[in-house]
Amino acid sequence: MTGKTQAVLEVNNIAVHYGGIKAVNGISFSLEPGRISGILGPNGSGKTTLLGALTRMVSLTSGSLVFLGQDYSKVPARKILSLGIARTFQTVRVLPDRTVLDNILLGTDALSSSRAGNVKENVRQAIERTGLEGFEQVRPGELSYGVQRRVEIARAIAAQPSLLLLDEPTAGMNQHERQEIGTLLRKLSEEGLTQLLIEHDVQMMLDTCDKLFAMNFGVLIAEGTPESVVQSIAVQESYLGKRAQQNA
Amino acid sequence: MNFFSTNIILVENTLIVILLALSIQIPLRLGVFSFAAIGYYAIGAYSSAILMLEFGWGSWEAMFVATVFATVVAYLLGLVLARLTGLYLGMATIAFDLILVVIVLNGGSLTGGPVGIFGVLGSIELWHLAAAVIIVLALLTLTERGKLARRFDAVREDPQLASSMGIDVVSYRRLSFLISGALGGLAGAFAINLRTTISPESIGFGLVVLGLTVIIVGGQASWVGAVIGACIFVWLPKLLDFVGDWEEIIYGMVVVLAAIFIPGGIVGLFLEAKHRRQSKRNRSVVEQVSALLAGEDEHESRSAAVNEGAISDR
Repeated sequence: MTGKTQAVLEVNNIAVHYGGIKAVNGISFSLEPGRISGILGPNGSGKTTLLGALTRMVSLTSGSLVFLGQDYSKVPARKILSLGIARTFQTVRVLPDRTVLDNILLGTDALSSSRAGNVKENVRQAIERTGLEGFEQVRPGELSYGVQRRVEIARAIAAQPSLLLLDEPTAGMNQHERQEIGTLLRKLSEEGLTQLLIEHDVQMMLDTCDKLFAMNFGVLIAEGTPESVVQSIAVQESYLGKRAQQNA
Repeated sequence: MNFFSTNIILVENTLIVILLALSIQIPLRLGVFSFAAIGYYAIGAYSSAILMLEFGWGSWEAMFVATVFATVVAYLLGLVLARLTGLYLGMATIAFDLILVVIVLNGGSLTGGPVGIFGVLGSIELWHLAAAVIIVLALLTLTERGKLARRFDAVREDPQLASSMGIDVVSYRRLSFLISGALGGLAGAFAINLRTTISPESIGFGLVVLGLTVIIVGGQASWVGAVIGACIFVWLPKLLDFVGDWEEIIYGMVVVLAAIFIPGGIVGLFLEAKHRRQSKRNRSVVEQVSALLAGEDEHESRSAAVNEGAISDR
């Protein structure tokens, strides 16, 4: 591990405007390889729009996105996975009439054979890592919300991405499931997978992330270690404002 | 053998309706709500007839060119209607069908106007149609297995998910127009060769209703649904001969009851039963693994709650 390594993702002054609404307005940051970064912010702060922009689902008004040294600001959304960027969604998005195995295989279907590698082995590992052994032939509708979340993560990591973007990965889960997901993400990080999380659960962010970014009104208001970001006055005023006032 | 020869027209109709229903079904399987299949059918039938009668072409050459022509028109229609979805797309494609009716009504001697075209005597026989249907079904089976089936499902169920999985949703939707055009055109070309006649009345709204009811009752998940639906609705009038004027009412009731009680069609019923059997088999595994993933926490929470006195003794 050297001190200076190439950033996996560089976000350079990006903006997403809808008419007069500036959902994302001049955000810049970079993600270091193998680390888990998190984006924190109250509802409507622009987190999901930012994730949409990073996955090219939302068009940029200005700025650029660089992934492993390659500018992908104009690359269509459907090519993001083949670049090595996988994602999960805010609400679970699975094919309800397909088995868990089919849903995971879907993550590898559109990849070139060189990119997909040994699909069978990758899918087997994804199932094993996410603890889904035994569920292969089950339809997602028969599973709990938390397990369906695992299916989404398994589908994403079966594509062998270099960057995993997770939109509220623990939403709808109980405490134990949240801890399990946190442990899984840490394990993936140790194996070298760079991750960016958007999450409301502050404790989960503190426990899981190496670095936090805080957003409000479409701009970054703080970044640094999870503890420093959560304790920053700007974040407390925007995200934890009421509690800070009550405590005061 | 006697049954076959007395019902040869119904057998022909069944096979033609299968092709036509598949032409509607393929776009539906990709989430494209299009009824343009009837228009492609009209293009296939009229083009074949005109090429054979006006230009003296043989059946096979005329059929090939007519099918290609219907496919090209379908592709262009797909480009024009690319931004439409759902009911708007459905309405636009019905308008396309009705525009074609107006064109053939006003086509003068070329299309025969309101009377249509008669006496198209081709060299195509029933077994050619049967062979074509078998080949088409074999090819469509490939779209219901493995990668392609998953991609079809993803494009239909969740285009955004499909896109994030690297699937080119727009291309698949265009492909649905292409396949639909080829199948509809082929159905029309076979129909004119075997029936020898085509008129504006036979490509009207009634055909749209027939194609749709075949898919509603048969099921849209698989080509099997198109085959079952075609068999039912081509043979139903014959089987209901004895009810006389009540035939139309019974026909309508079958469609309404199917739409209400078996939204997935007859194929959907079988699939649901299969899934239910599978769920039953999986239940114990699901319970065991779910308990491993989440149950421990509930146990821990409960223990913690008891320790804190949050749960009173019962």
